[in-house]
Amino acid sequence: MSWSARWVTWRNAWRQAWAHRVSSWAQVAMMFVNDTIWVLFWVLVFERVDSIRGWDVDDVVVLMAIITTSAGLVIGFANNIRHISHLAATGGLDATLALPVSPLSFLLSSRIEAIAMGDVLFGVTLFASLGSPTPTRVAVFAFSVLCAVSIISGFLIVVGSLGFWTSRTEAGDLGFQAIVLFSIYPVDIFGGVTKFLLYAVIPAGFITAIPARLVSEFDVSAALAVFAVAVFAGTAGWATFTLGLRRYTSGATWTQA
Amino acid sequence: MNVSNAIRQRRVFVRAVRVAARRMVAEPSALVVAGVFYLMVTAILAGLWRAAADASGGSVVGYSAVALVWYVATSEAATIALPPRMIEDIGNDIGSGAIAVEMLRPAPVLGLRVATEVGQMLPRMLLCISVGLVFATLTVGAPPSGSALALAAPSLVLALILNIVTQHMFAAAAFWVLDAKATWFLYQKLVFVTGGMLLPLEVLPEPLETVTKLLPFSAMAYVPARLASGHFEPELIAVQVLWLVVLGGAAHLAFRAGERHLIGTGA
Repeated sequence: MSWSARWVTWRNAWRQAWAHRVSSWAQVAMMFVNDTIWVLFWVLVFERVDSIRGWDVDDVVVLMAIITTSAGLVIGFANNIRHISHLAATGGLDATLALPVSPLSFLLSSRIEAIAMGDVLFGVTLFASLGSPTPTRVAVFAFSVLCAVSIISGFLIVVGSLGFWTSRTEAGDLGFQAIVLFSIYPVDIFGGVTKFLLYAVIPAGFITAIPARLVSEFDVSAALAVFAVAVFAGTAGWATFTLGLRRYTSGATWTQA
Repeated sequence: MNVSNAIRQRRVFVRAVRVAARRMVAEPSALVVAGVFYLMVTAILAGLWRAAADASGGSVVGYSAVALVWYVATSEAATIALPPRMIEDIGNDIGSGAIAVEMLRPAPVLGLRVATEVGQMLPRMLLCISVGLVFATLTVGAPPSGSALALAAPSLVLALILNIVTQHMFAAAAFWVLDAKATWFLYQKLVFVTGGMLLPLEVLPEPLETVTKLLPFSAMAYVPARLASGHFEPELIAVQVLWLVVLGGAAHLAFRAGERHLIGTGA
C-alpha cells in the first residue's frame, strides 16, 4: 500500500471520527477522567504503602503514562485492530480484499476512534507534569512508547487473526482485555509462573514494566531486549495475519470497508 | 392494582428471569469469556493487595492478606457478573424508540427489564462465585469467617440487583436527552472507587471514607466484599435493602415519567 493511499485512507477515517466534534471532545474528556481515576487509585494505594516490591508512586506514574499513550495510539489510530477476529470469523473482509492495497495496512488505517485520543492526551500530560521530564527521560519515554505500540499491535493482530482458524471472536476480545489489564500493573507484584507468562505469552512486562524502569534508570541491554521484542511482535502479527488470510472464507458482506 | 393482577405480574417476572437465565446458559462461550476475565482481574488485584500487605507488615488498614484476597474475589464478582455497558444499552433502546414496543406489553417496562437482567446475571454470578471460591481457597486458604461468608452470599445478590436497578434509574435520563453513552463510563468509575470494587473503602482518607460509605455505590461492591473478608456485620444487609427500596422507587418514578414523556412527544 503506497504512503499516499495510506494517508488518504487515514485522513478520511480521521474526518469521519471527528464528524461530531462536540460528542468526540466529550468522549476524549471522559477518557481523560477515566485515566485520572486510575492514577488516583495508585496514589491512594501508595498513601498506605511506601513501595510494593520495588515500585513506588513515581514508577507507577511513568508506567501509566507509557500504557495510556501507547494503547491510545494503537486503539485510536488503528481501531480496526480490535475487530480483526470479528472480521475474520464472520467473513467481513470481502470489501477490503477487493481493494488494490495491502489488506492489513488498509484495515489498520481505515478506522479511528476519537475517544482513545483522550488516552494519548492523558499519557503525554501525565509524563510532562509528573514524570520529571528531562531530555534523556523524554527520549527514553518516546522510545518506550514506540516499542509498546509495536508490541501491542503485534499481539492484538496475532490474537485477532486466530479468528481465521477458530471462526470465533472471543480470543480477540480476551486478548485485548488481557494486555491492557496486565499492563497497568507492575509485573513484579506477581511471582513464579504468572510472571513468566507476563513476559512470554502476554508481553505486558515488555510493554510497561521494563520500559518504566528504563525511564528511571537506562540500561542498554534491557532497551535492546524491548526493541527486539517489538520487532518480533510486529513481524509475528504481520505473518499470522498473512497466513490466516489463506484460510479466510467470504461472508459476502460488501459494506464494511 | 388488585391481587390477581399482582400475582400475574409476579409470574411474568419470574418467567422473564428463567428465560433470560436459560438464554445466558445457552451461550457457554460468553460465560467462558466472563469467567476468564473475572479470573484475570481477580488474580491481578489479589496479587497487588497481597504484595501491599506483605510490604506493610502483613495487613493494610486492618485487612490481612487473606481477608484482602476474599475481599477482591467478592468485589469483582459483584461487578463482572453484570454487562459493563448496561446503561448505554438501555439508553440506546430508549433513544432509538425501541422501548416503545415494550410499552405495548401488558407488564411494566422497568419490571420486565430488571427481571431479564437479573436472569442474565444469575449464571454469570454463579460462575464468578465458583471461580472465586476456588481461586481464593487455593491462593490463601479458607475464608477468615465462615458465618460472615455465608452472609456475603445474599448480600452479593442484593448488590447486583441494586446495581441493575440503579443503572436503569441513570439510563432513564435518555427519555429526555436521548443519549446515555457517556453516563456508563462515569457510573462504572463511581462503582470502582467509591463503591469499593478496587480497594476497601477504609483505604480512602477521611472524610472521603465516611462519605463513600454513605453513598449507594458502597452497597454494590464494598458491602458483600466486606462481609466475605471476615467482618460479620449483618446491619450492612439492612443498608442494602434500604437503598434497594429508595433507588427502586426512584427508578420506577423515572421510568413512569419517561414513558409519559415518550407518549406525549412521540420521540
